[in-house]
Amino acid sequence: MTASTHPRRRRALTAAGAVAVSALALVACAGGSAEAGAGGESLTVLLITSHQGAAEQLAADYEELTGVEIDTVIVPYDEIGNTLALDQQSGANTIDVAAPWYVSIGDLAASGAIQDLTEWIEETPDLDVDDFIPSIYDAYTLYDGKRWGLPFDGDTHVLFSNTEILERNGITAPPATWDEYLEQSALITANEGANGVYGNVVFGQKSPLILGASFANRLAGFGGSFVDEDGKPVIDSPEAIAAAQSLADALGSAYPTPAETAFGEGNSAWYAGNAAFIENWTDLGVGSQLNPDSAVKDEWAVSLLPVGGDNTQPRASLVAGFTWVVAANTDKTDLARDFIAWAASSEVNERLLVADPQTGIDPNRISSLESAAYGETYPELQRVNRATLDGALAWPTGKNATQAAEILTDELAKLVAGEVTAAEALSAVQAEWERLLG
Amino acid sequence: MAEIALSRPLAAATVRPRRPAPGPAWAHRLFVAPSVLALLVLGLYPLLFIVAAAFTESSLGKPFQAFAGLETFESVLADADITASLWRSVAYALGVSAASLVLGVAAALALQGAVRSGSIVRTLLLLPLITPPVIVGTLWKLVYNPGGGLLATVLGAAGVPRETIAPLSSTAWALPGVALADVWEWTPLIALLVFTALLSQDAAVLEAARLDGAHGWRLFRSITLPAIGGVVAAAFFIRLVLAFKVFDLVFMMTSGGPGQATTTTSYVIYQAALREFDVGKAAVVTLLLAVVVTVVTVPVVAVTRKLQSNHG
Repeated sequence: MTASTHPRRRRALTAAGAVAVSALALVACAGGSAEAGAGGESLTVLLITSHQGAAEQLAADYEELTGVEIDTVIVPYDEIGNTLALDQQSGANTIDVAAPWYVSIGDLAASGAIQDLTEWIEETPDLDVDDFIPSIYDAYTLYDGKRWGLPFDGDTHVLFSNTEILERNGITAPPATWDEYLEQSALITANEGANGVYGNVVFGQKSPLILGASFANRLAGFGGSFVDEDGKPVIDSPEAIAAAQSLADALGSAYPTPAETAFGEGNSAWYAGNAAFIENWTDLGVGSQLNPDSAVKDEWAVSLLPVGGDNTQPRASLVAGFTWVVAANTDKTDLARDFIAWAASSEVNERLLVADPQTGIDPNRISSLESAAYGETYPELQRVNRATLDGALAWPTGKNATQAAEILTDELAKLVAGEVTAAEALSAVQAEWERLLG
Repeated sequence: MAEIALSRPLAAATVRPRRPAPGPAWAHRLFVAPSVLALLVLGLYPLLFIVAAAFTESSLGKPFQAFAGLETFESVLADADITASLWRSVAYALGVSAASLVLGVAAALALQGAVRSGSIVRTLLLLPLITPPVIVGTLWKLVYNPGGGLLATVLGAAGVPRETIAPLSSTAWALPGVALADVWEWTPLIALLVFTALLSQDAAVLEAARLDGAHGWRLFRSITLPAIGGVVAAAFFIRLVLAFKVFDLVFMMTSGGPGQATTTTSYVIYQAALREFDVGKAAVVTLLLAVVVTVVTVPVVAVTRKLQSNHG
């Protein structure tokens, strides 16, 4: 009896051992960043899909420059914050560097997902932080009095016009006010809607970076703000309500259908020449010239966002914007810092601004914005991007800012769906924001 | 002789078969341990995590920061959008489950009638089931696309103005639009389950019923349905649970919009946990959804058991 059970026990022990070894191997594979082979160094960098072109160029350039291999991880733009937070909280720690939306910096810092870079930034004069565009430097990096990153992608919206459509409809100049924008859009849609050409594109899909951006553009134009100088919510101000109403009024002449329109749908309509006006990042101009699918090459103009109400001063809206951060639990902090210092530098930003194919990157520094290369290649984009130099409108960026952006977007989605009025939507947001942001 | 002949079976009936000698206790525990461990890891740990998160201030990066008591419950229950999402999820789950059940049973009966071509049809039926939900969502979003989608093309050809055909932008039609995709995806599961039950029917009983004059609806209602009722109810239960969990279709097709028209509770949980970083709120909504699912499914389970015991 005993003799006959021994082989079974041995088999059982062997099987158990194999399972244990397999489990350990799986755990080893799951944790830690990928190391480059043959003793080389590597970094795992988390970026969004819109930055894929930039990621490929950065990875190639940095490897050539330093020999450090850059492994890029690409996720949708509204997933980057939670991907980084979960990676760090779960202990997987596969990410060394990331470029999340600047609005999430406060939440990522509060949750311990990113490193405080204050001392390093202060002790590294080569970073030349005074060269960062002033209106974005604080908004993109500052939380609770500390610096948590370096600006990567400036990302301000401007208004693009299809000059051929305007000409066909007897419009000689793009709109200077949001009311003119509504009138011209309505005229074009009435004249050419039956042919599939519409006055405007409204990015209305329920996402902070999409629908929230459409509202933020108008909020800036009407002279409103998300919060006051003390950080208190003022999202139900008369200016904000007028901005939301202007957004709702734009839906009637918009490319169908606004509630489903995200960047893919809207930009495709623009490139196909089916929309007269589109609010977008300045790099849409680069795409209009270089995109193989673009039917609007040399048939577009760009201008500052219109103004509205009593406001007469155009103001940039920091809609998206992405910041280089170092993951909290990386064991390659020095390497990560070296990389973001290089990637946020003026030289790299300038190269990305004029790259072909386009990289989706906007200016982050004064020197790259004013560079000869940018000015010679895209003089109009350089002109409108100068609007970010002074008093651009930024989203709230502190703790709970991500949730605040979601709440605003939910209420704006109800407005777009016709379920609430502009005043009702923003009144509800104000109440929630007072609870969240103080 | 007669007494002896009778006593042997009686004796055999009263003598219990000898059980194998019990092994050492540690061996029993060892063999049971993997199951217990799996239950703890897969069932108990997530439940404890959710309960703990619900009663604490918990973010995505830092769960269990401070005890919050019932504060999160109060704020969640006071949120009209969340309570509306619970009702919406109940209506959605019951609606798509009922539709899937009716269509699935009808498809199974049709399959049974066309048994020669059944293998091909069964393979085709599997296609929606094996298609990833992300692809199903994308596919149906293209079907509903007002700019050249299948629906706009067909209705446009019939004279309906194309610019008015945008179901996913309509607060009235967006949820039925998602539901239709859901029914398309999961009805084959019901059909295959019911078809299997139909195959296990006693052919002699069916033949006897036919000889007695039962055909068509009468045969189905009086003979077939009672025989497969337990399986049908169980299939409905499975479908109901699947429908309550719907997330991927909503994520791909509408992002919960327009407005809140397609924001199901599963989507609220995703939004709270992964887009707002508020794990405490997500945990509370999860617990509320669990309560609602339990309340809705308990009667279904009871009916399933009754039908199965009747048939057994």
